[in-house]
Amino acid sequence: MTAAGMLVIPLLGAVLTGFAGERRRLVAGLAVLSTLGAFVLSLFLPGARAVDLPWLPGLGVGFSLDPNGAASVLVVVTALVMLPTALIASLKVEEHPGRFVALLLIAQAGLNGIFMARDLILFYVFWEATLIPGLLLLGMFGLEKRRAAVVKYLAYAVTGSFLMLVSILALKVLSGASSFHVTDLMLAAPLLDAATQTWLFVGLAAGMAVKLPIWPLHSWLVDLNDQNHPSGAADVLGTLYKVGGFGFFAWALPLLPAGAERVAPVLLVLGAFTALYGALIATAQTSFKRLLAYGSISHMGLVAVGLFGMHIAGLNGAIYLLAAQMLSTGALFLIAGMLYERRGTFDLGSFGGLAKSAPALAALTLFVIFAFIGVPGLGNFPGEFLSLLGTFQTAPWLAAGATLTVIAAGVLGVNLYQKLFQGPQAAPVRDADSLEAYVLVPFVAGILWLGLAPAPQLQRIEAQSQLVVLQQERASVPALDAYGDEVAAVTDPSSSGERR
Amino acid sequence: MTFPPALDIHLVQLTPAITLLVTAFATLLFALWQKDSRQTAAIALLGVVTAFGFNLSLFLSSGEPTSSFGLRFLTDTPALAFNFLILVGTALAILVSYDQLRRMDLDHPEYYPLMLLSALGATVMAAAGDLVTLILGLEIMSLAIYVLSAWRTRSRQSEEAGMKYFLLGSFGSAILIYGAALVYGSAGSFVYGDIVATLGAGGALVATLGGALVLAGLAFKAALVPFHQWAPDVYTGAPTTVTTFMSVVIKAAAFAGILRLVATVFPQLQPWLLTAFAVTVAATLVIGNLAALQQRGVKRMLAYSAVAHAGYVGLAVLAAGEQGMQAAVWYLSAYTLMNVGAFAVLSLVVDAGDSGDSLDHFAGLGSRRPWLALAMTFFLLSLGGIPPLAGFAGKVMVFEAAISAGYLWLAVVGILTSVVALVYYFRVIGAMYFRRPEHDLPAFASNATTIAIAITLAGTVALGLLPGWWHDLLGVAAAALP
Repeated sequence: MTAAGMLVIPLLGAVLTGFAGERRRLVAGLAVLSTLGAFVLSLFLPGARAVDLPWLPGLGVGFSLDPNGAASVLVVVTALVMLPTALIASLKVEEHPGRFVALLLIAQAGLNGIFMARDLILFYVFWEATLIPGLLLLGMFGLEKRRAAVVKYLAYAVTGSFLMLVSILALKVLSGASSFHVTDLMLAAPLLDAATQTWLFVGLAAGMAVKLPIWPLHSWLVDLNDQNHPSGAADVLGTLYKVGGFGFFAWALPLLPAGAERVAPVLLVLGAFTALYGALIATAQTSFKRLLAYGSISHMGLVAVGLFGMHIAGLNGAIYLLAAQMLSTGALFLIAGMLYERRGTFDLGSFGGLAKSAPALAALTLFVIFAFIGVPGLGNFPGEFLSLLGTFQTAPWLAAGATLTVIAAGVLGVNLYQKLFQGPQAAPVRDADSLEAYVLVPFVAGILWLGLAPAPQLQRIEAQSQLVVLQQERASVPALDAYGDEVAAVTDPSSSGERR
Repeated sequence: MTFPPALDIHLVQLTPAITLLVTAFATLLFALWQKDSRQTAAIALLGVVTAFGFNLSLFLSSGEPTSSFGLRFLTDTPALAFNFLILVGTALAILVSYDQLRRMDLDHPEYYPLMLLSALGATVMAAAGDLVTLILGLEIMSLAIYVLSAWRTRSRQSEEAGMKYFLLGSFGSAILIYGAALVYGSAGSFVYGDIVATLGAGGALVATLGGALVLAGLAFKAALVPFHQWAPDVYTGAPTTVTTFMSVVIKAAAFAGILRLVATVFPQLQPWLLTAFAVTVAATLVIGNLAALQQRGVKRMLAYSAVAHAGYVGLAVLAAGEQGMQAAVWYLSAYTLMNVGAFAVLSLVVDAGDSGDSLDHFAGLGSRRPWLALAMTFFLLSLGGIPPLAGFAGKVMVFEAAISAGYLWLAVVGILTSVVALVYYFRVIGAMYFRRPEHDLPAFASNATTIAIAITLAGTVALGLLPGWWHDLLGVAAAALP
C-alpha cells in the first residue's frame, strides 16, 4: 500500500491545490503538506510490499508496482527535491499558483510510477502521462518563445515514446511472453534472436535516448530550460524527468541483452561524446540557465557511459548519479530563479561580486556547485566515480576520454562561481532570506547524505544491476537457458523463482 | 437456401430495434402538435434509454436463439455490443441537440424522428447476417442522415453537404449492391453462413470481386481512404449536432458490417482482398492525420481526425479472427465517448450559425471557461492516445491486435502518424491555455450539453483507468462470433 500511496498522495494534493486556485497561502500549505507527506511515506519504501493487481487482463497488463531496488532510491530523492520546489513555486509564481503546483504534483506521481512500475505497459503509461504536466508548465508559465520550445519538446518526446510503444507491444507478441509483467518478459524476451532484439532495442532506445537525453537528441532540454518559468521550479521538474537512463537500466538493457550487445557500443560512444560536449558547450554559455542545461546534459553523458559500459559498477554508478544530480542540478535551477528575482536576468555578464552583499547565498551556491562538478564527499561523486570505473573495465579508451569531463566540469564550476559572486560588485543585492535558506536546506542535506553514505543506496540499486549482467551472460549461452530461475528470483522476489 | 420450418422470428431479440422504430414514429406524431422540440427530444431520449435497457438485458442473459429470419438478423454478442455504441452515441447526440436546435434555429419537428430512424438503420446493420439485411439497414440509416446533413436551410454549405453526401452516398450504395449481386452470383446465397459453406477456401474471383465492392461500399460509410472525400465537407457543412451523431453512430454501424464480413466471408475469398484492405487502412492513417494537420478550423480538424480514427479501428478489424473484434469495439467505445465530448465542447464555442470554430476562438478558453477547457483537454489528449485515458488503452489494444495478426508494419505506420495527430490536438490545447482570449464566447449555456460533456468525460477517464472489465465482457462476445 506504501507504493500506491506514493501515487495517491501527490495526486490528491494536485486535485486539492487545483481547487485552491488563487488562494496563495492555501496553495502553499497544501503544497507543503502533500510533498512532506510523500517524502515521509517514501522513507518507508524499502522493504514495502509490491502491488500486483489485474488491470487489463485480456492483454496481460497488470497494475504492478514494486517500490524496492533502484526505485526506492529514486523515489526518495524525487520526494526530497519536490518538497522545496513545490513550496517555492506556490509562493513565487505570479498567476495561477494552484495550477502550477498541481501540475508539479501530478508529475511527481508520474515519476514515482515510472520508477516503481513492474509492468512494461504500466511503465509506459506513467512515462507518457508525465510528459503532459511538463508541457503545460512550459506552455502556460514559460517566457516569450515558449511556443517553439513546446513544439520541439512535444515532437522529440512523442516521436521517441511512440516508437517505444510499438517496440513494447511487439516485444510481448514476438517473444510469446504471457504478460507484460517484468518476470514474464525477462524470461521470454532474451530468447529472441539477435536481429529481432536489435530492432526492438532500437525502438525502445528511441524513446529512452530522447529522455536521457543523449547527443544528438538533447536540444529540446536546452530550449525547455531556457523558456521555462524564471522561478526555476519547472526546470527542476525537467531535471527529474530525465528518466531515459532509468528506462535503459530497468527495462531495455536486461530485456534485450543481445540487442544491447550490438547497440550499446554506439550509445556508449555517444554518451562519452555527450559528456564532453555538454561540459565544453556549457562553458561558452552566457545564460545561467542554458549553462545549467548543458552542464546537466554532460552529467547525462556520464550516466550513459556508466550504463552502456555494461559493467556492474558502472550500472550502479549511473543510477546513483541520476539520483544525485537531481539534487545539485535542481538546487542550481532554483538558485538561478533566486538571482533572477534580484536582477531580472539570467545573463551571466550582469552578475558579479554578489558575495559581498549576499554572503550566505554565495556560500550555499558554492556548496551546490561543488556537488554539481563532482567534488568527493558530495552527492555526484560516488556516481561519477563508479560510472567511469565500471566502464574502464570494458572500454578503457572511451572511459578515459569521458574522464576529461571531470576537468571540464571543474573549470565550468569555478568559472560560474566567479562570474556570479566574485570580481567587481555590480550592485548590491539582498542576501538569502529565511524562505530561500529553508528551500536550499533539503538540497544540502540530500547532497551530504548521498555523498557521505552511499553504501545502502548502492546496495539497493545493485540488485537490479545484477539482473542486467545476468541477462548478458544468459544471452551468451542461448541454447542452455540455465539462468531462468535466477532471473525470476531477481525480478520477482515474492515468488522465489516461481513463474507467476 | 433453406428456410427453417417454423416461423423464425424472435420478438424478444428484436426489442431494441422495435423500440427505436416505435419511438421514431411516436416522436414524429408528437412533433406534429408540440412545437417545442425539447419535449420531442425527451421522448426520443426515453426511447433510446429503453432500447438500451432491452439491449442490456439481452447482453446479460444468455438467450438461446441469437438469430431471427433464418440467420439474417443476428442478436449475438457482437451485434449487441455494437448496439450499445449506437444507442449511447444517439443518446449523447440527443443531449447535445437538446438546447442547440433552438439556438441555431434548426427547430423542425422531424429532427429527432430522423435521428432515431438513422440509429435504427445502424442497429439493423450491426445485426445483419446477410447482405440484403445489411443493405436494408444501410439505406434506412443513410437516407435519414442525408436529410439531417442538409438541416441548416438557407445555408449553402449545409445544402452542399447534404447534396454531396446524398450523391456520393448513393454511388457507394450502388457499388455495395452490385458487389452483393456478384457474391450471390458466385455463392447462390446472401446469408453469410451459406456463403461460407458454398465457397471453398481460396475463393472464386467473381465472389472476391463482389466482396471487394461490398467492402468499398462500407468503407465509404466508414470514411476510409480513398472513399473519405465526402467526410470533411459533410462533417463541416452539417450542423455540429448532426456531425456529433454522424461521426460516431454511422462509423460504428459501418464497422459492424465490415467486421462481420472480415470475420466470416472474407477468409473464404482470395487473400489479396485483405491485403488491399490493409493498404486502405494505411492510406487512411497517413492521409487522415496529415490532412488534419493542415486544418485551421477545429471542426474540420476533428472531421479529418475522425477519418484517421477509422484507420485505427481498421487496424483492429484486420485482426478480426483473434483479438480484433474486442479491440475494434473497445476502440469504438472510447472513440464514441471522446469524440462526442470534443464535438459537444465545440458546439458551445461556435456561434449560432455554426461558424467561429477557428483556433483563435479557442484562445484563452482556459481562463474564460476553465472547466470546459479542462474537459476539452482530456478529450483531445485521449484522442491523441495519451495515457491514462481511454484513447490510450484503445490504441494499445488495436496495435496489439494488429501486431499479433502479423501487421507490424501497419502498427508502425499507425504509431508514426499518431505523432502527427498529437501535434494537431495539442495545438488546440495550446490555444486554450497558452494564449490570451481574442474573441467573445457566445453567451449560451445548456444543461443538457453539460450533462453530455460530463458523461463523456467520466467515461473517457473511467474507461482509461479501468479498461479491463469492458474488454473482458467483449472477450465473451468475441468467442461467440461465428
